[in-house]
Amino acid sequence: MSKPKVAFFDFTSCEGCQLAILNLETELLELLDIIDIVEFREAMSEKSDTYDIAVIEGSFSRDKDLKRLTKIRETAGVVIALGACAHIGGINSLRNNQTREDVQRIVYPDNPTLYETNKKALPISGAIKVDAFVPGCPVDVKEFVKVVKNLVLGKAPGLPTYPVCVECKMNENVCVYEYGKTCLGPIVRAGCNAVCTSNGGVCIGCRGLIPNPNINSQKDIMEKYGLNMDLILDSMNLFMTEENKAGQEQAPCSPMPPKEAANG
Amino acid sequence: MTTVFNKQSTKDAVFDGLEKALGDYKIAAITKKEGKVLFDYVTDVRKIEQEYTPTVLSPKKFFFPQEEVILEYTFDGKVSAKTNPEKIVLFGIRPCDISGMKMLDEAFSESHGDPNYLSKRENSVLIGIDCKSVCDKDAFCYRVNSQNPETGFDIMLHDIGNDYSMTVVSEKGKEFAESYFDSEIFDYAAYAKFNIEKKEAFAKAGGPFEDLDILPEIFEENTNHKIWETEAERCLSCGSCIMVCPTCYCFDVIDELALSMKVGDRLRRWDACMLRSFAEVAGGENFREEVTNRVKHRINRKFNFLMKKHNQAVCIGCGRCVRACLADISPVTIVEELTKTSRALKLEQRNDDLYLPEKVTITKVEKFTDNEKFFEVEFDNGKSLGHEPGQFVQLSILGIGEAAISISSPPSFGSRFEMVVRTVGDVTRKLHTLGKGDNLFIRGPFGHGFDEQIQKKMEGKHILFIAGGIGYVPLRSLINLTLKHPDKYKKISILYGCKTPGDQMFKDELQYISSLGGNIELLETVDIPDDKWLKQSGVITELIPMSKFDHLNTIAIICGPPVMYKFVIQTLKRNKLTTDNMYVSLERRMKCGVGKCGHCQIEDLYVCQCGPVFRFSDIEDKEEAL
Repeated sequence: MSKPKVAFFDFTSCEGCQLAILNLETELLELLDIIDIVEFREAMSEKSDTYDIAVIEGSFSRDKDLKRLTKIRETAGVVIALGACAHIGGINSLRNNQTREDVQRIVYPDNPTLYETNKKALPISGAIKVDAFVPGCPVDVKEFVKVVKNLVLGKAPGLPTYPVCVECKMNENVCVYEYGKTCLGPIVRAGCNAVCTSNGGVCIGCRGLIPNPNINSQKDIMEKYGLNMDLILDSMNLFMTEENKAGQEQAPCSPMPPKEAANG
Repeated sequence: MTTVFNKQSTKDAVFDGLEKALGDYKIAAITKKEGKVLFDYVTDVRKIEQEYTPTVLSPKKFFFPQEEVILEYTFDGKVSAKTNPEKIVLFGIRPCDISGMKMLDEAFSESHGDPNYLSKRENSVLIGIDCKSVCDKDAFCYRVNSQNPETGFDIMLHDIGNDYSMTVVSEKGKEFAESYFDSEIFDYAAYAKFNIEKKEAFAKAGGPFEDLDILPEIFEENTNHKIWETEAERCLSCGSCIMVCPTCYCFDVIDELALSMKVGDRLRRWDACMLRSFAEVAGGENFREEVTNRVKHRINRKFNFLMKKHNQAVCIGCGRCVRACLADISPVTIVEELTKTSRALKLEQRNDDLYLPEKVTITKVEKFTDNEKFFEVEFDNGKSLGHEPGQFVQLSILGIGEAAISISSPPSFGSRFEMVVRTVGDVTRKLHTLGKGDNLFIRGPFGHGFDEQIQKKMEGKHILFIAGGIGYVPLRSLINLTLKHPDKYKKISILYGCKTPGDQMFKDELQYISSLGGNIELLETVDIPDDKWLKQSGVITELIPMSKFDHLNTIAIICGPPVMYKFVIQTLKRNKLTTDNMYVSLERRMKCGVGKCGHCQIEDLYVCQCGPVFRFSDIEDKEEAL
């Protein structure tokens, strides 16, 4: 079996997910037994015109990036969205509820038009077709290895479709709601081994919604535990502005959400 | 309880014993770890927490862990099954969780014994600590009677002050207690006092669910209850309820290949029927996509599906799912609501007149044969019987008794109806002595006759009535009804067989029918003809080919003595008529007529309720039917 060539690309992001992958060290070396990395700006200076798998970090937030993304899509057999920004828009999409002019004025008050930007920051799937994704902010590197391994084996990426609660309960955590905190665990995709709730935090939704989340019930529960509607929406929009919009356009809490493309 | 023996030790002696056992066993008990109170392995038995705090997970995890390897393999095809039994002592398990372990023991040992679970269980000693009272507001062990398990553990400790009183129910437990626990003299009085106090404390919390024993029935009655939808609306499908359940044991199987791509494991990991992906197949279809169905499935497993198998609720009332549910969905609410609905339904259905007969007066009697007489009766209160063809009434003569009698007149709005009665028993013998103007009592009509659905199905078809002897009587109601509008049918053939010409009933009517012509034919036969008999002789099956039916467009309606059915049905099948196009009217002994007394039962069917008219395909597999 010839090893598939893998190239890493970044768009609007902090590049932390790529950094997390570099930090894999020993496992990264093992990973090189099954793949060839031909382009990875953070780690090497070589570039390649051909590759089988493109791993893309960051969201799509400038029109001029479309050309590069289209080129990647045309070259790669498989496109993997890496991390929350690429997967669901992530933190970048927080600005999608404001006008472009407001955003530009807030970020660069002295020179609002210094940088070109779109009206919205979208997930990579807003520009090109994405075949698989590795969720999270940052990504869980073990999960990244698993997705790559599964794709090389010809299997589905194999991400869980169940929520964080499943892993949180397996870890025997007392629910954070019992400590008076609120948490998005019931509607957010597991796979992180409930890392935040198992270490004194709460789930803030970096991995995106599960298929078919019961948003209405989640809101009712957060309200029951003392959040007003503004705070509820703020907390749900931190990473998932775009996902929540998609949900609202569908009619809230529709029993039939769009089917997931890559993670059956 | 099959107590092997009783024993008593000081609490100190128990912990000293556990310390000794540490060399031979791993000891799991309630302990504090990273701020959590949970069951975990301990290396210092003095750190075992004795006071009860409901743990997030039950101790089932020691035998059926969240994730475990069941198979190891190399990518070139070497496979080996993996079990990993260790000798463990599980100390301080509570009665509810013991009841849960008992369920899992049954689940994992039935039909195919699960090696991973059972090998761990065989190597374990379970030491329970009995509860003195209900632990918190969410626990409902007393509602499902799981607070006093008699098996599922080896040793149960009852806290009687300075000492633990011990109930030992297994040889394994006896051996352990004798090896590790120094004894005191067993104080029966203190043990009895503990039990009395426990009983009182639990009684204060409440009793078992009303109708606990018949919950499966109640759940069956309520598959479309609105509570399933209202609970599903709030349900997050987060799976928490199942993760924390001590009696849930569904799992997923996952292959994990090492990065070397040379070796791998096959794991099993807890799965949950509340999760959307649980019943989804590779092609994308999901057999339990609706949350409502998943909620229904989860609760039904506890109180219906598996309860039928285990003969007790499979929920042990530990309350973990109630504590874990952010949306406040509780099995208690659901069980109570369904029970309430079923009870209300039953009260509503109460019929105070069920056994109350109404008076009728005989208006006409005609002798048909030596044994059979025709009776026409009329309700004294002028009401109409309102029956459908094929139904029956319970006819009674006060002081003699009640008997089930077919109605032989077609449906009518008038207050009169007709019966033909053969003298066979006390009631019918007495009836034969009565005449015009005498009174009888009637209950009914009862049973399932040739209802609208069957009548609709008959339209446009060739109708084959096949009556043997007195079997003509129950069919006459339908025969005469169809004869009112013969144009609705392709053809009407009436096949009537009797033993002798003298046994024929409704002779005038038969003569009239044979004169009708058109698409109506009457084929008669007798087994033993006399000199005057000019028609066919022989058994009734010989008439069947004469009706020249087309098997794709025919409905056969059959009534006669038991022996006749077998041969008639054989002949019809030979002529390619399928059994879903055959209807039979069956005779059985009936006492109540309303599906209670049990005399008419064919396996799970009450003939008086589901019959006497059956589509033959519905009962042909039932041994007792014919």
